[in-house]
Amino acid sequence: MKIRTAIANLFKNPNRKQIVFEVEDELQFHIEMLERKYVDDGMSAAAAKAAALRRFGSLERAMKQCVDIRSRNSRLRRVLKISSILLLLTGVSIRILSSDLKVDHIGDVLMMIAIAGRLLLYVRGLSPSTFLSGTNETCPSIVTEPPKEARYS
Amino acid sequence: MANDRTDLMQGTLELLILNTLARESMHGYGIVQRIHEAAEDLLKVEDGSLYPALYRMEERGWIKSEWGVSENNRRARFYKLTRKGRTQLEAERANWNRISKAVTRILQAT
Repeated sequence: MKIRTAIANLFKNPNRKQIVFEVEDELQFHIEMLERKYVDDGMSAAAAKAAALRRFGSLERAMKQCVDIRSRNSRLRRVLKISSILLLLTGVSIRILSSDLKVDHIGDVLMMIAIAGRLLLYVRGLSPSTFLSGTNETCPSIVTEPPKEARYS
Repeated sequence: MANDRTDLMQGTLELLILNTLARESMHGYGIVQRIHEAAEDLLKVEDGSLYPALYRMEERGWIKSEWGVSENNRRARFYKLTRKGRTQLEAERANWNRISKAVTRILQAT
């Protein structure tokens, strides 16, 4: 049970709080900008806030989707990093401990794979999702009417 | 009034975002505003749907984001197109042109 917990902790995303904070901050900025626009258009502060929230749509749903996407990416990166390190260590161990030429080559190959895998993560525009086919979700592209308060602006 | 609502075709929002970011880097609010202005209020994209789309696009490497300071001195995340995103934009544009041409032909034929 302890080993299972340790493994779970190893792969648990340590940045989730940070991700939630950043997503919240970004969405809040958007709502603030909308409020400001409506106030400039002549609405009262309360009406502007209501109109902004209406135009934004479900804040909770957007938050959840964004945090899930960010966490998924972050978690996968972590798993890949840890796997690369483990592979590298295994490779180095084999390299050091073996005197057999064939096993020696296996060590080299493992090290090469680990280094190549790690380098791949730094290639511009390449993210772990590139390797996943299941991330192509549908886009909630919804066309709605403008808020009533905004129409007279 | 519900009949006035039209769903964008799947992937259309991504095309609009890519096209908007082709000119300059922008924050999410700026992207939506630009789309609204360009569409002259004929299309209304629900603002909240923009962000999951942006995050997915970043995950795919089409856009990159970084924190910056907005026009009102507030911390904001700015998005910009990557080289991969520019290629994607060209592909999406070509695809859109094909679809729209095909639909127009069908409508004219019937």
